[in-house]
Amino acid sequence: MGTLKQIGAPQTQSSSSSSSSIDSNNHPSRTPPPPSSPSSSVCRNRTDLSTDLRLGLSISPSSQSESPFNSTPREESFDWPPIKSILRSTLVGKQSHLSQRPSLFVKVYMEGIPIGRKLNLLAHYSYDGLVKTLGHMFRTIILCPNSQPLNSGSFHVLTYEDQEGDWMMVGDVPWEMFLNSVKRLKITRADRC
Amino acid sequence: MNKMEGQAPSPLPDQVLENVLETVLHFLSSRRDRNAASLVCKSWYRAEALTRSELFIGNCYAVSPRRATARFPRVRSLTIKGKPRFADFDLMPLNWGAHFTPWAQALAQSYPSLRRLHLKRMSLTDRDLTLLSLSFPHFQDLLLTCCEAFTTTGLAAIAANCRLLRVLDLAECVVEVADEEVDWISSFPETQEETHLESLVFDCVECPVNFQALERLVARSPSLRKLRLNRYVSMSQLHRLMHRAPQLTHLGTGSFSASELDPEPDYASAFAASKSLVCLSGFREIWPDYLPAIYPACANLTSLNFSYADINAHQLKSVIRHCHKLQTFWVLDSISDEGLQAVAETCKDLRELRVFPVNTREEIEGPVSEVGFEAISRGCRKLQSILFFCQRMTNAAVVAMSNNCPDLVVFRLCIIGQYRPDPETLEPMDEGFGAIVMNCKKLTRLAVSGLLTDRAFGYIGTYGKLIRTLSVAFAGDTDLGLKYVLEGCPNLQKLEIRDSPFGDGALRSGLHHFYNMRFLWMSSCKLTRQACQEVARRLPHLVLEVINSEEGKADDIEILYMYRSLDRPRDDAPKVVTILH
Repeated sequence: MGTLKQIGAPQTQSSSSSSSSIDSNNHPSRTPPPPSSPSSSVCRNRTDLSTDLRLGLSISPSSQSESPFNSTPREESFDWPPIKSILRSTLVGKQSHLSQRPSLFVKVYMEGIPIGRKLNLLAHYSYDGLVKTLGHMFRTIILCPNSQPLNSGSFHVLTYEDQEGDWMMVGDVPWEMFLNSVKRLKITRADRC
Repeated sequence: MNKMEGQAPSPLPDQVLENVLETVLHFLSSRRDRNAASLVCKSWYRAEALTRSELFIGNCYAVSPRRATARFPRVRSLTIKGKPRFADFDLMPLNWGAHFTPWAQALAQSYPSLRRLHLKRMSLTDRDLTLLSLSFPHFQDLLLTCCEAFTTTGLAAIAANCRLLRVLDLAECVVEVADEEVDWISSFPETQEETHLESLVFDCVECPVNFQALERLVARSPSLRKLRLNRYVSMSQLHRLMHRAPQLTHLGTGSFSASELDPEPDYASAFAASKSLVCLSGFREIWPDYLPAIYPACANLTSLNFSYADINAHQLKSVIRHCHKLQTFWVLDSISDEGLQAVAETCKDLRELRVFPVNTREEIEGPVSEVGFEAISRGCRKLQSILFFCQRMTNAAVVAMSNNCPDLVVFRLCIIGQYRPDPETLEPMDEGFGAIVMNCKKLTRLAVSGLLTDRAFGYIGTYGKLIRTLSVAFAGDTDLGLKYVLEGCPNLQKLEIRDSPFGDGALRSGLHHFYNMRFLWMSSCKLTRQACQEVARRLPHLVLEVINSEEGKADDIEILYMYRSLDRPRDDAPKVVTILH
């Protein structure tokens, strides 16, 4: 099972000491990742626990492509980032002009977790970026199709449902082709594949 | 020297010395030098106190008005700062303090010759302003930065009563709207043929002004050099004002958009006629179509503030390619990395860059990133000050800047996503900030962000020997982080920390240094009331303000604001503030 902690973890450090991942015990190791080889370009061999759930908690609003002003699950905090309120309130009106980047939001589920997430695939340019992001979002290691880790029980693989309704392994086809055929994603345990 | 009989006795040697001393000290302007001189001996202390005409008070609660005016009786220029900077981001309760009234009263009594007053983050009322306007016949300069609690009524009093007014600068103030909007511009006496006005800055005043009165005021102000209009001034009105005042050096353009669709005057000619313009700002509701109007002025510009103008890279490029002399540039990230690259190509003299985010939500990608950041570092080698908001940044880019821009004095990087690692390596951002403190040997101000471990603070403590101001948010692992900083940075004066896991042990490690600091701010950290109480006991001249949103939450501290003070703790604190002593 992945090392996912509850999504409901507190946002600030002071309110609870036990669930904070910023403890010296959980310090991410500083050994650099191994040099990437073509077949392992989607591999990462360690979790980065200290990215914490700040990333995971950035729940993208489901209809962000329509307007940035839809009510989001997470309240916008007005004390972060540190921008003076005069500038901030002026800019609120300007945001709608600029967030017109194309987006392709798909649902992502992780096996065993009933609540899914949504991810903008067009915010990434390759499988690499996608796997990195998912690794952060779900706090796990996502393997590439051809590797054989020793204890595959702790790891996950990424699969997707294509336009024909079949579940396929992510990474076999070129990125652009993948974008055209993906309907949704699922992160499943490696020993099931 | 022989004394002739019948002459008056010559002054005592001590008195001669004091006179000489006063005459010499008169020329000493740096307050740090003056502070040093005052410590030499009692007569130097006295002489320095009598000759100090510019008084700087970094924290309005560090000293009482009475003590300040008693020691320095001949002050002509006064600067007072109130709230700590984090108050700008709504982290402090309303009505926390920094009230100017007790100061206003003391000044009115003690400094009849006061000429200049600069207040920052203070709360001052219309009554205070009225008192000021009536108490100082020689009053010339009023500068209010990030102040609040006054309305246009107070401004009208200043305009009406300060006959010698030279500077009226309102920067980022919150000017309340009075019950009846007061036409303060009309309060400048029309009977005065010529005013003494050199600077009129009111871009933060959020209500319309009487344009005809403004135009007449500008027309009879031949010394006017700085004029910053608010967003209620349209493009055509701006045009008229520019023709009235072609001698302007600093112009805030107001809305920079049109209110009617009449055939428009030739705006570019107005900018061409203003041959002295070196600083442009405003653009509050910019119509990008009007941007070409400023082209004639670009070649001479040393300062350009586009921080309210959401223009894209293409629009920026059309302007920036003319701005070879630019030294200060504030802009929105709507210009994207491409825009930053254009800046890097042209603005070789750039000293200060600020890039603000249009979208303040955490995103995976944003319009600016390490790409534009690194381009700036390669193109603008003379950079001294940077404030950069972004959604992603790499250690490599930060290291590059530390090598390319060794003159950096101010380095403030805000990665909007909290706890974000380097997206390429997944490493914390320790090494990047470490390189900055190592390589930028003149660094005095640092703001950190992204995923940071205690290691980053170790670097800061080891290499950041000149750092005076440090801002920390969502960073660090253990008390060690803060300990490294408090033990390693001897020049640290202002430390503001939020949402970081630093606790009592870390607080105690700074006991040796707290009297040297202007303030310490720690919010949403891991401090307990007991530890704060202990610090308060051990350092009697420290004031520890504990601010909790709910009363009775005894142990955990939400906000600690701590500062040194020569006088009793204040008595004007609201209920949510508990002062430990």
